[in-house]
Amino acid sequence: MRWLSRSYLALVYLLLYVPIVVLVIFSFNDSRTGYNWGGLSVRWYESLFSNHAMVQAMWNSLWLALTAATVSTCIGALTALALHRYRFRGKKVLNGMLFVVMMSPEIVLAISLLGLFLLLGLKLGYVSLLLAHVTFCLPFVVITVMARLSGFDERLPEAARDLGASDFTMTRTVLIPVIMPALLAGWLLGFTLSMDDVVVSTFVSGPSYEILPLRIYSMVRVGLKPEVNALGTLLLVFSLAMLMLSQWILSRSKQ
Amino acid sequence: MKKLALAGLLALGLTGCSSDDPQVLNLYNWSEYMPQEVLTRFQDETGIKVIYTTYDSNEAMYARLKLLDESAAYDLAVPSTYYVSKMRNEGLLMPIDRSKISGFDQLDPELTGLDIDPENQYSVPYLWGTTGIGVDTADIEGEPVAAWEDLWDERFEGRVNLTNDMREVFHMGLRVLGYSGNSTDPQQIEEAYEKLKELMPSVRTFNSDAPRMPFLEGEADVGMIWNGEAVMGKESMEALEYVYPKEGVIAWLDSFVIPKNAKNPEAAHQFISFVLQPEIAALISEDIGYATPVLPARDMLGDDVAGDRSSYPSPEDMVNAEFQTDIGDAALQVYAKYWEKLKSGL
Amino acid sequence: MMQSIRQQPFRAAVLVLVWGWLVFLVLTPNMLVVGASVMTRDPANFISLPLNLDAYRQLFNPLYLEVFLHSLYMAAMTTLVCLLIGYPFAWALSRVEKRRQILLIFLLIVPFWTNSLVRTYALKLILATNGLLNSALMSLGVIDESAQLLYTEGAVIVGLVYLLLPFMILPLYSVFEDLRQDVLLASHDLGAGRFATFKNVIVPLTLPGVLAGVMLVLLPAMGLFFVPDILGGSRNLLVGNVIKNQFLDARNWPFGAAASIVLTLTMALLMFAHRLSKRRLGEEGA
Repeated sequence: MRWLSRSYLALVYLLLYVPIVVLVIFSFNDSRTGYNWGGLSVRWYESLFSNHAMVQAMWNSLWLALTAATVSTCIGALTALALHRYRFRGKKVLNGMLFVVMMSPEIVLAISLLGLFLLLGLKLGYVSLLLAHVTFCLPFVVITVMARLSGFDERLPEAARDLGASDFTMTRTVLIPVIMPALLAGWLLGFTLSMDDVVVSTFVSGPSYEILPLRIYSMVRVGLKPEVNALGTLLLVFSLAMLMLSQWILSRSKQ
Repeated sequence: MKKLALAGLLALGLTGCSSDDPQVLNLYNWSEYMPQEVLTRFQDETGIKVIYTTYDSNEAMYARLKLLDESAAYDLAVPSTYYVSKMRNEGLLMPIDRSKISGFDQLDPELTGLDIDPENQYSVPYLWGTTGIGVDTADIEGEPVAAWEDLWDERFEGRVNLTNDMREVFHMGLRVLGYSGNSTDPQQIEEAYEKLKELMPSVRTFNSDAPRMPFLEGEADVGMIWNGEAVMGKESMEALEYVYPKEGVIAWLDSFVIPKNAKNPEAAHQFISFVLQPEIAALISEDIGYATPVLPARDMLGDDVAGDRSSYPSPEDMVNAEFQTDIGDAALQVYAKYWEKLKSGL
Repeated sequence: MMQSIRQQPFRAAVLVLVWGWLVFLVLTPNMLVVGASVMTRDPANFISLPLNLDAYRQLFNPLYLEVFLHSLYMAAMTTLVCLLIGYPFAWALSRVEKRRQILLIFLLIVPFWTNSLVRTYALKLILATNGLLNSALMSLGVIDESAQLLYTEGAVIVGLVYLLLPFMILPLYSVFEDLRQDVLLASHDLGAGRFATFKNVIVPLTLPGVLAGVMLVLLPAMGLFFVPDILGGSRNLLVGNVIKNQFLDARNWPFGAAASIVLTLTMALLMFAHRLSKRRLGEEGA
């Protein structure tokens, strides 16, 4: 029984990882057609970096993900603190709205935001992308931070306040350090969600600000492009590095 | 507070825009419809950077242009035949200043002054081509394919590629039934739907991004393809042949137009002139396999290109050929309804 | 009193910011969608008056209903496959030693951190006619000629399952984690066989996890329009493709809006069921 369950686990992991391994191996494939092995080569990485539009899209995406993750972490952390600390009217509604954003299909969010931006006459580009990305990252940050706060000793802020700290000072000196790991996790989640998003970006982006996922989408639709393998491998390495880094920071902060 | 934050964000966005290089041309074109070399040479010569964004159907192009109309997102687009008249009639286009275009008089007179834009006030022809049948001759046996009707043959079950273009697919269906490909009669459209529905079990994929790819990938053996795609595909797959079906090919002319709110119409004019140079036009035609309307360019083509019937059809090939025309919004809705149903595999 | 004034500016600023953001970017846009769904399609300006329910009527037109049912079927199949793979997986995972569990969970999440488009594309490399799976099967002599895997309904479902499986496993894993060993022992002591224990104890106790997983898989499985585009040959459409086409190609905004409202209502229904199942468990436990 134990043997059976172990091999079942192994099988599912195998299935999950086969496509990724294939991708990485094929990114070093010299063959043009994409299916056959034609020898080891880094030509697709070279052709990737010699493509200006591609490099531009990479920078755009990185900048967008950085800013979207940062803004959503700031707003999300404040929201979580407000939900945790304050009693106010409409708290349940606020909670519910965040939950709805998290659960509602991306495509619904996408069209609703598109409608709003058009109505406002907002130029589709960086700003519209940023607003949209922050919106879909927000609930994830809130949840992460809330989870951290719920396991937190209520007496600490009380003690701080008794010692004469203002609400702002108390937040800065007591709460922020406590939720730091959650902020990091939330930021990372936001960054990944933003780097990965196709559905919402398809609707709210304009030609002036092309981002990586949409560029990949148009490449992939045309057919087999070995450059996509190389790009995918780079993205994988990048996100793995980020994940490791965050684990390292978290484990250090625990000590 | 909210307003302030919004104003801040907007300011951020605005400075982001103005810091852009002012000399940018936003070209909205079909995917793989302009060699990279042309864009590079244009930038080297004029210093204007071309941002090339793509679409895979006229409907998508039209909808996006309308959507981004106010924000002046695109400077140049390349609609097919009937979309020029549609967009012109709806006032979406900016008149083209002929004095800024050099080389217009060298265009094939048969391709200028068409009904879609009688004076060519709003459009300049870029390339023309046809949608016919692509055949992977290495993979099929028996009678050679000669007509649209042959796609229904049961030996091609699961091996047919169609373009992801509602009008083209129905055009084919209507032609098989002997109707005009521009029919607006709901009865005929429904008949075409019923006919196409019989074809659906054979259809492997719809592809308008690069209809040659399903052939190259070995997923399809026969099906709709644009002539240029067949020419490009033949480079890596010798067995890919382009066939002019006897019911008639679908013919189209893609033209440059400048959207009404273009931000950089000056650069758009420059780009059109650049592409009309015989040398550049010849390079484009050789590279992507479609026929150029620039007459002097045709003399510069190698014999293998100029003599290739796929790119430059003979008069017999064009018997029964039909250009697509604007059929109006009401008929389009009828098409759209059946199209959705067809594609869902029902 | 002093204190409340002192804390007022900070608290007010936070609340205004959060409320402002949500009202401006969630509530208003959703109201706009509801508004658009009851307006009339207009070829020139996307939408126009008069108000009517035509879009909804169109939705229940047998023609479109079939399209919807078909894509619902694909989403349901995806969810079912995820559940069938994920349920035993989560159970087996919760039985592994604690220290290894953390590593295994980490490994489960890594693919999720890789771009989903790229992963879908990698599946194409495997499923294509000249692709790896066909080559492997042919060289093993299992099949004589390439099977058609790509551009089929099955390929779309495989793609969706591949992208969404972790979303099914994680909530299931968390309920299995809470499943206390003594409950199972008690059931055994009371004379229940393995099957009876499974049916009467395990299934009800893990039901909230199942529903959470279904919720996290079913809804995205209806919206991920790029999967049919890449693996389905632009056939086998999802509701997401229909909505996207209505907005970006066919320009029938009221219809697209109505379709997305139906999608939202489906979500609400699932959330309600989830809540109900949790509450019932809570009462029984008390």
